[in-house]
Amino acid sequence: MISQFFVLSQRGDNIVFRDYRGEVQKGTAEIFFRKVKFWKEDGHEEAPPVFNLDGVNYFHVKVAGLLFVATTRVNVSPSLVLELLQRIARVIKDYLGILNEESLRKNFVLVYELLDEVIDFGYVQTTSTEVLKSYVFNEPIVVDAARLQPLNPAAIFMQGSKRMPGTAVTKSVVATEPGGRSREEIFVDIIEKISVTFSSSGYILTSEIDGTIQMKSYLSGNPEIRLALNEDLNIGRSGGRSLYDYRSSTGSGAVILDDCNFHESVRLDNFEVDRTLNLVPPDGEFPVMNYRMTQEFKPPFRINTLIEEAGTLKAEVILKISAEFPSSITANTILVQMPLPKYTTRATFELESGVIGQTADFKEVNKRLEWGIKKIVGGSELTLRAKLTFSQESHGNITKESGPVSMTFTIPMYNVSRLQVKYLQIAKKFSAYNPYRWVRYVTQANSYVARI
Amino acid sequence: MSGHDSKYFSTTKKGEIPELKEELNSQYKDKRKDAVKKVIAAMTVGKDVSSLFTDVVNCMQTENLELKKLVYLYLINYAKSQPDLAILAVNTFVKDSQDPNPLIRALAVRTMGCIRVDKITEYLCDPLQRCLKDDDPYVRKTAAICVAKLYDINAELVEDRGFLESLKDLLSDNNPMVVANAVAALAEIQESSSRPIFEVTSNTLTKLLTALNECTEWGQVFILDALSKYKAADAREAENIVERVTPRLQHANCAVVLSAVKMILQQMELITSTDVVRNLCKKMAPPLVTLLSAEPEIQYVALRNINLIVQRRPTILAHEIKVFFCKYNDPIYVKMEKLEIMIKLASDRNIDQVLLEFKEYATEVDVDFVRKAVRAIGRCAIKLERAAERCISVLLELIKIKVNYVVQEAIIVIKDIFRRYPNTYESIIATLCESLDTLDEPEAKASMIWIIGEYAERIDNADELLESFLESFPEEPPQVQLQLLTATVKLFLKKPTEGPQQMIQVVLNNATVETDNPDLRDRAYIYWRLLSTDPEAAKDVVLAEKPVITDDSNQLDASLLDELLANIATLSSVYHKPPEAFVTRVKTATQRSEDEEYPDGSETPYSESPAHPADGGVSSPPPTSSAASYAGVRQSTPAPAVPAAPVPDLLGDLMGMDNSAIVLVDQPSTPAGPPLPVLLPASTGQGLQISAQLVRLDGQIFYSLLFENNSQIPLDGFMIQFNKNTFGLAAAGPLQVPQLQPGASATTLLPMALFQNVSAGPPNSLLQVAVKNSQQPVWYFNDKISLQVLFTEDGRMERGNFLETWRSLPDSNEVSKDFQGIVVNSVEATIDRLAASNMFFIAKRKHANQDVFYFSAKLPRGIPILIELATVVGTPGVKCAIKTPNPEMAPVFFEAIETLLKA
Repeated sequence: MISQFFVLSQRGDNIVFRDYRGEVQKGTAEIFFRKVKFWKEDGHEEAPPVFNLDGVNYFHVKVAGLLFVATTRVNVSPSLVLELLQRIARVIKDYLGILNEESLRKNFVLVYELLDEVIDFGYVQTTSTEVLKSYVFNEPIVVDAARLQPLNPAAIFMQGSKRMPGTAVTKSVVATEPGGRSREEIFVDIIEKISVTFSSSGYILTSEIDGTIQMKSYLSGNPEIRLALNEDLNIGRSGGRSLYDYRSSTGSGAVILDDCNFHESVRLDNFEVDRTLNLVPPDGEFPVMNYRMTQEFKPPFRINTLIEEAGTLKAEVILKISAEFPSSITANTILVQMPLPKYTTRATFELESGVIGQTADFKEVNKRLEWGIKKIVGGSELTLRAKLTFSQESHGNITKESGPVSMTFTIPMYNVSRLQVKYLQIAKKFSAYNPYRWVRYVTQANSYVARI
Repeated sequence: MSGHDSKYFSTTKKGEIPELKEELNSQYKDKRKDAVKKVIAAMTVGKDVSSLFTDVVNCMQTENLELKKLVYLYLINYAKSQPDLAILAVNTFVKDSQDPNPLIRALAVRTMGCIRVDKITEYLCDPLQRCLKDDDPYVRKTAAICVAKLYDINAELVEDRGFLESLKDLLSDNNPMVVANAVAALAEIQESSSRPIFEVTSNTLTKLLTALNECTEWGQVFILDALSKYKAADAREAENIVERVTPRLQHANCAVVLSAVKMILQQMELITSTDVVRNLCKKMAPPLVTLLSAEPEIQYVALRNINLIVQRRPTILAHEIKVFFCKYNDPIYVKMEKLEIMIKLASDRNIDQVLLEFKEYATEVDVDFVRKAVRAIGRCAIKLERAAERCISVLLELIKIKVNYVVQEAIIVIKDIFRRYPNTYESIIATLCESLDTLDEPEAKASMIWIIGEYAERIDNADELLESFLESFPEEPPQVQLQLLTATVKLFLKKPTEGPQQMIQVVLNNATVETDNPDLRDRAYIYWRLLSTDPEAAKDVVLAEKPVITDDSNQLDASLLDELLANIATLSSVYHKPPEAFVTRVKTATQRSEDEEYPDGSETPYSESPAHPADGGVSSPPPTSSAASYAGVRQSTPAPAVPAAPVPDLLGDLMGMDNSAIVLVDQPSTPAGPPLPVLLPASTGQGLQISAQLVRLDGQIFYSLLFENNSQIPLDGFMIQFNKNTFGLAAAGPLQVPQLQPGASATTLLPMALFQNVSAGPPNSLLQVAVKNSQQPVWYFNDKISLQVLFTEDGRMERGNFLETWRSLPDSNEVSKDFQGIVVNSVEATIDRLAASNMFFIAKRKHANQDVFYFSAKLPRGIPILIELATVVGTPGVKCAIKTPNPEMAPVFFEAIETLLKA
């Protein structure tokens, strides 16, 4: 069990503080913040999520720029505490619509009320927004989403906003709409984070998909839902796979998941038969299913890097990005980064003309090349030329001292695994009942790296 | 609702408290609710709003749950400091616990359990009894946890009232949430009790396994953790258990997965069928790997656990090494753990791929990660004989890039590779020697020198290379000096020519006469003697064959690994330390109570003093200011060791162990001045002597302690506890005493808090202290609370105020005492001395031949003491009379004034 829970802002201000057992001294928030801020132990510069200081164990996770922290004196399950911290953040977000310092401060009474129901004497009671609704009475005060800076540029919903009602995902699950009644709608997001490592010759060394089917329901009366996935979905790789066994079956064939797990509300009675999931979605946001896949897939981007030495103190880097997905799809917020040799003093760039929304920059501090592209349409190709100047001779080691090239991007309405929600059935309450259903696909880069 | 809660944080300029008071007593419900919110807001930011206690409690009787909850939140925080007022709330609590609304019943019990005030606890029993049998599961599950709360306050009460039995009954409850909480409560109670209270029998096992399927995710973790202590009777039972638990591996909650893994691993030990075991390993692998798709924080925990699991069962993840390859955006703490596991999983089959990864990591930006990657290559070379050559060629490639720290790290690991495979890879020495002059880290230098010495006969210019280091011998760090010494001796033994002979003279001279490092000196003398008596014997010793080192990547000791594996999915498995090494849960009421208050904005004494040691001297120094105390410590630190004489200087060595060196620098130190009174003599304390005294520094009470270890063993793990006493003095922080070696001593200032657990009965000055450490029994001793330590700095009264207070107190509140033997010689000195203890001089008058002095002082909580001293200066005999609202304090006060006047 935990002793204390608190939320700190990035500056270390105490936004929420709750002591459940009074067995840990006060002032831990300050002690914690100082320790984490100036962490320098075992040579690491970033504090691990769990550490012990003077007999007190500190756990923390970072959510939306805030530090969610718990302390304890006893030998608890660390995954429980860390998972709990994430869930608390999620519950608060469900209630407040938006999770940030301002919304927490505005709603501190509600947050305390939630915390009292979520944890008793340090023991988790529930983190289900659905269940909490019957015990929590404060109404959230909704913070105006439009005024807010996007907290996290990677937040997947930013991009989709043109297709979706803009307020949907920042809408509180419990607050009543200004008009007094809320819209019947349900969101199902298939989010895939992909990791690919290309060798210097362009082969795929490792590739992996971490996927989630995320649901957020605003349906009244909790109707039962049926979610159908690809019928040819397979789970578990057959037998032990050798490290060198690269399947060439790209493009066709069944979707094979290495592993998957499900939210506790999901009933799997028909899953083995027809790959459908039955559930009564609780209020709030939750993952219906998480899955992992190492089956080979077609990477959405190819990265080509060419380094040419031009004399002893100069070199030219040519980066080429090819978008290998259909032209009906557009990737956005693309950022390509490449560490350059430490003795690089200057870099000048040559961008392709006619492409708008491109920026290229040399970050002097960490000697890094950054190339930002707003949009890339499927099937197109972009090139960046960078001329580098060095302060010392490179001894022919440039390729060893620069790279790898890494890339982040978001591709809405596209998923590489080909896992699909074939249909989403909502049990009808009456004949005219036809709530909005939003099924969205998003592919994001997790660790997308090309070695050079 | 309109408006924003954040408006409650805004402060009105003056009279905030009176304003709130008015609003709290408003006739309008909404206004009262708003006011309570403001109070809570003030409490959160650390303001003291305890004076509004009665007004807030008056809002408690409401049907509005939102308001009620707020009031309860306030109560939990302030009941401790206002125990007498808290009792006002008891009736409402008891009434609420019988409310028709189950939420209110549960709320009442939940809150009462959080208020650690004895008088309230007494009233908790009946409602708790009822709620444990309530019709509503929400009430029962709350009551279950409340039993654990009560046990923490008063274990006897729980046992006497039969709550443990009720709790055990709840294990069969039809609501899984209730079962889960009962399990959690019983597990906690068991943890703090030495008697068996909660033992999982096969009967409970069946019950709990059934409940497992219906529980919430968190309840599943409670149950799985409780069941993991269960020892199955045989392989069959173990298999049955595993079968019931395996579906939990599919859960989306990582905590459930890890707890299930723990349970399965535990039962696997009993399962004999290799097929079953293999099958289980196969089932566990995918969920374990999936944990690495969670948030990085969870990944870290998973990786630390996997590290342990693959040490016991390497086959589980043997084919999954790819998932441990580092992602470029992994946090550094994840990358480091992944590297460890990659080394553990590296095999002849996958080494090429692994090396490719390591090589890539070794050119990344993060220096620590790069070093670890280089080291990993070396460890693989040592682990996998057949791959050693490939590893070395990768290392050589890296050396050729000439990145300084990569080269140095590579040389360090190559030294180990030479030791693992002697006489195999010496051909690369030439390449290493090229980087000789770029080495600036001691470990790398020492490794290189070792290599030169070891292979002196094969390096043509070994003597030149070593000589280049000799010039700077005196400036080198000890580990380099030691290696230089040995390497030179090796060189001389292998090539006893003129050059090396001269070198050995220089080195031996430097290492004996010119050094003050005892290790170096001793080693040099041994070599010297060996060389001068029997060079052949020297060869046998120095050039003897070395034991071959082995791979250290599975370095955990088998018994420790066992213990850690039993603790999978706990903090133990993250720290890789057994629980007793870091769990410091102190079962003391004192420890806890002082923390219960809300942060009041004032810094704890610790957080300030270590950072600004000199501040004490600047801000209004009391007679024993911290500045003085620091000076005092400095005097007692030993002078730096004197340059060593030619003869090994025993005294010098002893100085290095001087006990005062152990005093923690970042601790407020003991004030200089008279030595502390010995309270636990060494003869009683099996060699441990404790001297202590209460002192007041900068308005804060400290317990100044001196620990002296005269026993034969090191003592550590010191803890302190105070019995109930008149003033409720208790430790306000943990006792910070480092490990004490035999003969060493340490001083510390323990911050103290007042009114934590006040003893009943007439006031007395007795302070009973218990001190324990990890090696000895608990020691008890008595100390005296001298009242002057408690007098607050704001005790000075205006003359008019003094007179008025004196008059307003009834005569029955006046107590006087004669001190026959005491002489006041100097009025000045006496006044100063009393002022130093916060007893302030008000006025003086003549009465007959006597001088009559008036002083004021104030005890915490604002209790004034008005003092009248009558004496003839220079003549024995002082009459002291005091008037105070609390005349029962008089005897304690007279003890204090007697000490002060005598001094």
